[in-house]
Amino acid sequence: MDMNEKEKIEAQPAGEVKSELPDTKEGRLVKDLLERAPYAEGSVRRERRVEFKVPPERIHEFLELASEKFEMLMQISTVDWIKEGEFELVYQLWSVSESVHAFVRTRVPRENAKLPTVMDIWPVAETYEREAHEFFGIIFEGNPRLGPFILEPREYEKHPLRKDFNTLGHVKALYGEDFDRYDESKTNYVI
Amino acid sequence: MSERRDVNENDGVIHYELQEFQVFEPLFRWARKKSLWIVAFCTGCGGIEIPPLATARYDYERFGIMPNPSPRMGDLFLITGYVTPKTLKRIIVTYEMMQDPKYILTHGSCPINGGVYWDSYNVVKQLDKYIPIDVSIAGCMPRVEAVMDGIMEIMRKIESGEADGWRRYRENYDYYRKNQDELFGEGWREKEAKRWLAWI
Repeated sequence: MDMNEKEKIEAQPAGEVKSELPDTKEGRLVKDLLERAPYAEGSVRRERRVEFKVPPERIHEFLELASEKFEMLMQISTVDWIKEGEFELVYQLWSVSESVHAFVRTRVPRENAKLPTVMDIWPVAETYEREAHEFFGIIFEGNPRLGPFILEPREYEKHPLRKDFNTLGHVKALYGEDFDRYDESKTNYVI
Repeated sequence: MSERRDVNENDGVIHYELQEFQVFEPLFRWARKKSLWIVAFCTGCGGIEIPPLATARYDYERFGIMPNPSPRMGDLFLITGYVTPKTLKRIIVTYEMMQDPKYILTHGSCPINGGVYWDSYNVVKQLDKYIPIDVSIAGCMPRVEAVMDGIMEIMRKIESGEADGWRRYRENYDYYRKNQDELFGEGWREKEAKRWLAWI
């Protein structure tokens, strides 16, 4: 419920702003990019922060366009929207020339999530993609180093940051059950 | 005494408690207590509590505590926060590199029972199952005064002979080894060594 509410609040201003982008450097940046990539949605969130929504099959194309103005890839963060059955990937770009931070959002279905790699645009994407692959099981096609990265192999198989990963069961299996713990409401004895 | 020697007969280490030195034992204990060199293995959030300890206000050097570059010269192993399985492998290897007698001081709740990470897949609960701990300081995060108190406690235990984690590790090595192997799988030492060969 909480997740859905948040989504609605975010969705509404995006629709309104789309028609009238402000006449600032951020607005002009979004406008230029949207003219060349009409499949994307774009909005200005505030000063020095813009946001795009891109369908996953055209993400590589869009990021290649965006990389002309946004020279740096700062992070790829992933959100697991388990009720909608989707992973949301947020490519966080930074424009050194314009000092603008851009969120490029895309959504892929949770089952067999696949995306093209963006290593050819920003080589640093290799690390972020490996991380997203390890913790969520998203496959980035074209990235040669996907595989066990930070975690132990047994956790790598389970993709522990997915919302349906049973943390407590994993802990009990791994570290034993002889701990003295109650759950958050202090009523049920969990371990 | 003789029993312990039987146990340790095969490990090829000269036992420090030779009969003829027994008379000097109180002196040795006093000397050990007054020259604790630390292996500051800064895991988790407690590493940031070490600088105030080392600098002018709390200044642990007045107790003869000194940070030192090598685990071979260390006496006191500070584990300063939560321990992940990956870190635990390094901790075990480092701990086994240290010379006897060696002591372990842990900071915070996480090494005791997981602390706030009690249901995390990646934090070792109950560190005492894998390596012997002499003094645990509870708290999240213990303040410098508490760490100071823990250090005083371990000094007291060294003088009275209660800080015998290194001896427990020798005597109950099978138990610790079993727990370690359960967590990491059989043959983890060899696998780790293979991974490190490239760096040596």
